[in-house]
Amino acid sequence: MAHQTHAYHMVDPSPWPLTGATAALLLTSGLAMWFHYNSTTLMALGLLTTLMTMMQWWRDIVRESTFQGHHTMPVQKGLRYGMILFITSEVFFFIGFFWAFYHSSLAPTPELGGNWPPTGIHPLNPFEVPLLNTAVLLASGVTITWAHHSLMAANRNQSIQALTITVTLGLYFTALQAMEYYEAPFTIADGVYGSTFFVATGFHGLHVIIGSTFLIVCLLRLIKFHFTTAHHFGFEAAAWYGHFVDVVWLFLYISIYWWG
Amino acid sequence: MYYKFSGFSQKLVGAVASAAYVPQGLKPLVSTESPALIFGTPTKLASDSPAAVSYLGKNKVPDLQKLFQKADGLPVHLKRGVPDQLLYRTTMALTIGGTIYCLIALYMASQPKSKK
Repeated sequence: MAHQTHAYHMVDPSPWPLTGATAALLLTSGLAMWFHYNSTTLMALGLLTTLMTMMQWWRDIVRESTFQGHHTMPVQKGLRYGMILFITSEVFFFIGFFWAFYHSSLAPTPELGGNWPPTGIHPLNPFEVPLLNTAVLLASGVTITWAHHSLMAANRNQSIQALTITVTLGLYFTALQAMEYYEAPFTIADGVYGSTFFVATGFHGLHVIIGSTFLIVCLLRLIKFHFTTAHHFGFEAAAWYGHFVDVVWLFLYISIYWWG
Repeated sequence: MYYKFSGFSQKLVGAVASAAYVPQGLKPLVSTESPALIFGTPTKLASDSPAAVSYLGKNKVPDLQKLFQKADGLPVHLKRGVPDQLLYRTTMALTIGGTIYCLIALYMASQPKSKK
């Protein structure tokens, strides 16, 4: 009885959960060391070990699926549930920051001048760069759908081109937003307006960077023939994440940039 | 109802009774084969191009599948041999070293009055 008689994946023993947990310890205590003792060594170590754990863990998943064939239908179903639940948890993460924004902006205190935007704050014009950013993210949603359909139709050239354009749009968004941050007439220290603006858009920007990285990895795997026309869950997961990031931006744009 | 064979639609269609007295007969069908197309420049057929046109690299997945399915008892994170071992050992060294450094730093930080 040397082989398994079920369709589930019993993974090989792996050191990455341990290194990942330890990396989290180093990151958090590193933050404390940075805040209180002005030393960044521990935090840098934490960041490095986190990155190395992530790279090797996900590399192993690619090996287990594409090269060893462990991702049967039930396994893939579990991964789909997992990704959906993770994205849902991120939605709740952002709901918190939107709650904070609406709490402060729907009933502005006398300290702010009783109005929103607060007295003295000159908000960014929503019809300039923010509108361009909206167009960029919406376009990336179109191109990634194009890439997906090309992949399913076994059209290699078009799928690679479409995914490349998607990645470029994501990087373009990040560059535009970085420039906006640099040029903004207000900072994170400018009262509750600055706090809500930069924390909400800042975390969104971080998620765009994460999404772009995920898509770049998918592009490399696509070029290396890892995906088949019927089995490409990594690509679908990246597409779901990209759409989620796009939707969060739309809410940010309407609430903070336009209404706010 | 009288019917005649319509040469236009290649089907039986309704006809007037007088058509029965002037039968159309069966004419030979026009050949539906189009004549060979003549281009200005000679055409290259897709079947003439090399079988595996290399666009952005060759497909190495089957080779990697063989490599990673070798029955050598190695866990997946060490399956490739030396490069995997180097990465693993470096990560582990940084993790363990970092933990020791962290515990020392936390011990020192928890001492009252003697701040580093």
